[in-house]
Amino acid sequence: MKAIQSKFVFHGVHIPDRKHFAKDVPVEDCAPADTLTVSLSQGIGKPSVPVVAVGDPVKQGQLIAKAGGAIGSAVHAPVSGTVKSVTDCAIVIENDKKYETAYMQPLSDPTPEQIKARIADAGIVGMGGAGFPTAVKLNPQDPVDTLVVNGAECEPYLTCDHRIMLEHTAEIAEGARLIAKSLGIATIFIGIEANKPDCIAAFEAFDFIQPVILKKQYPVGSEKHLIYACTGRKVPTGKLPAAVGCIVQNVATCLAVFEAVRSGKPLIERVLTVAGKAVKTPKNLRVRIGTPLDAVISACTLTEDAKKIICGGPMTGAALKELSRTVTKTTGGIVAMTADETDTDAPTPCLNCGKCADVCPMNLMPMNTAFYTAAGEYDMAAKKGGVLNCIECGACAYICPAHRPLIQAIRTAKAEIRKGGNK
Amino acid sequence: MNTLVVSMPPHLKTKRTTKHIMLDVVIALLPATVMGCVLFGLSALLTIAISVVAAVLSEYVYALLSHRVWKDHAYAKRFWKEFDFTSVVTGLLLALVIPASVPWYYPLLGSIFAIVVVKMLFGGTGKNIVNPAIAGRIFLFIGLAAVPSCRAAIIGTVFSAAPEVGNDIFTGATPLTNFLNPDFGASITQSNLTDLFFGFGVAGCIGETCKAALLLGYIYLVVRKVIKFWQPLLYIGVTGLFAVCLNGFDFSAFLPSILSGGLFLGAIFMATDYVTSPKSDLGNVIYYVALGLITAGLRKATGIEVVSFAIMLMNIIVPLIDTYVPRRAFGYRRQRKEVK
Repeated sequence: MKAIQSKFVFHGVHIPDRKHFAKDVPVEDCAPADTLTVSLSQGIGKPSVPVVAVGDPVKQGQLIAKAGGAIGSAVHAPVSGTVKSVTDCAIVIENDKKYETAYMQPLSDPTPEQIKARIADAGIVGMGGAGFPTAVKLNPQDPVDTLVVNGAECEPYLTCDHRIMLEHTAEIAEGARLIAKSLGIATIFIGIEANKPDCIAAFEAFDFIQPVILKKQYPVGSEKHLIYACTGRKVPTGKLPAAVGCIVQNVATCLAVFEAVRSGKPLIERVLTVAGKAVKTPKNLRVRIGTPLDAVISACTLTEDAKKIICGGPMTGAALKELSRTVTKTTGGIVAMTADETDTDAPTPCLNCGKCADVCPMNLMPMNTAFYTAAGEYDMAAKKGGVLNCIECGACAYICPAHRPLIQAIRTAKAEIRKGGNK
Repeated sequence: MNTLVVSMPPHLKTKRTTKHIMLDVVIALLPATVMGCVLFGLSALLTIAISVVAAVLSEYVYALLSHRVWKDHAYAKRFWKEFDFTSVVTGLLLALVIPASVPWYYPLLGSIFAIVVVKMLFGGTGKNIVNPAIAGRIFLFIGLAAVPSCRAAIIGTVFSAAPEVGNDIFTGATPLTNFLNPDFGASITQSNLTDLFFGFGVAGCIGETCKAALLLGYIYLVVRKVIKFWQPLLYIGVTGLFAVCLNGFDFSAFLPSILSGGLFLGAIFMATDYVTSPKSDLGNVIYYVALGLITAGLRKATGIEVVSFAIMLMNIIVPLIDTYVPRRAFGYRRQRKEVK
């Protein structure tokens, strides 16, 4: 369908997207490591429960841990080999380099129930970053009539979604159709930021999916704002998207759903971006879950002057002190920044300029949150700053001319409010 | 040794810091400063120089004294490295709102009062309750009002608008004062208005006479996104319209009332001061409308220039506005009250 321009506006900030690093680099496979440490917390929810023991031989795609609760996801072996150790938080698998697969049966014409069951069996979680189990999302409380596919990728530096949208357009569209079928949804939107015209053109080829051109603005990829930009519906505060009849899935999730249903392949690898000025050859890599981050980075060669290494995007990702972590289902990228890209200056006094409130997509008052959090009055931070509605996008802290640590204050306030019983 | 830095996201931050914004304000004030020097001569330049230097030095000396580091060179170095130019803005603004004919120690006293009492004693940058430059001007106005020449210089009596070179207080009455005088109202003509706009032959404070230069600064501030374009316009517009209402819906009063006095300078550079204006858009609308009403109303009632008093008054009310003007979150829905 012909792409339409989104006409719904909300507050946000314009950030230099710096996607030039790996925008035109095709996805390539990352060499599998010798030992893979598969975390048992792949996203939100209870940690998964191991179903293998030390010494067990496993095949690629074999279930190694089952969902730990109602909100949780299954975990599968990313390579064939032997289980070296099983702990409460991770399963270590030694790669035997044979790559024998044990995938599920492909489904050519599945029923809605079969699709939902397959998505749960394949351990698919939201791959945009939050990692909410997709199978749980597909059992909404309220009736839904619209599927919004998230191809916004508004985080700077990251280009993995951009590349898969170009290289796997048909698969993503089919995955979206499968998700829509499982819920009996007729309308499918795909929201793509205006800086990716090639992706928008690619999705115009399908007659069942409506591409929406999103204004280049951060954070247009946030769930609530994507729904608003595509459909004009505002998710009420404190409610889930299903309250307005919408469900949002990332493009990478759609691809994973397609692979799980059509070829029976569980979620054992994902595409991530390695970019930044401190990376010699920025790449988009298809990496197996459990690969150590330093193996991923060394595939792209880190320069000496790296000042910050970030797991995820630079606006919401976590800065790493060392590269001992491994890739999970929600790792969208690794960004290595030099000193001139990032900012390590000390904060200066707040000027009350109100720029943080101007850019807040949730229309909150971040400066009030910071003020009351510093004073230890967390109730007031919620009342005057609206901290409980915060999506932690980081737009406020980006624009702050005094470089106030606003996200730190917001997270402190949220943690303290939760501790004291969520009022 | 691992030298990676760990911090909370976001890891990208804007390059526009407080220092850049304050430098932008200084740049925006330059046209008015230059025009002030052109119109009022060397004494204006001297006043500006004394005021700015006094402001910066008093901040420096206060910092040294309050940290008890009189001879610590490392501290001095850090002070100048972190210097954020807010005191330059204060000093410059203060000089622009006093006449050029005042004795040299007026800007000195005013700057020291503005920086030390109004800004630093309240906690420094970002903590002051009222705009320091406004407070400095009002301090001079009230504190030194007993000195007859000062009173004439700052608020003006009914005085000839034509400058007389050689007269100590040739920058006496602002056209506003004359305009409020019944005899003067009839004499407003097209050429008067042009003079008012460009500041030629108009008495007044150093920076406030040339409206063209101030508008240049306004355009610069809007382009650089330091202020929002509607803020000064709202203030000026409400002032003009309310003056029209107060003068019996005589629309010929609109242009003279907005072009005279310190309204442009106050609306563009002083009311928009980040620290002392409301945080939310709705709060700002209330703030600027109230400013306009107070300015026009008090001008009519008192017959003197009241922009600085209006701004100071509203500065004090800003915390109230911030407290009682709510901001609704994205997706906010009004909770229905349960029927008991």
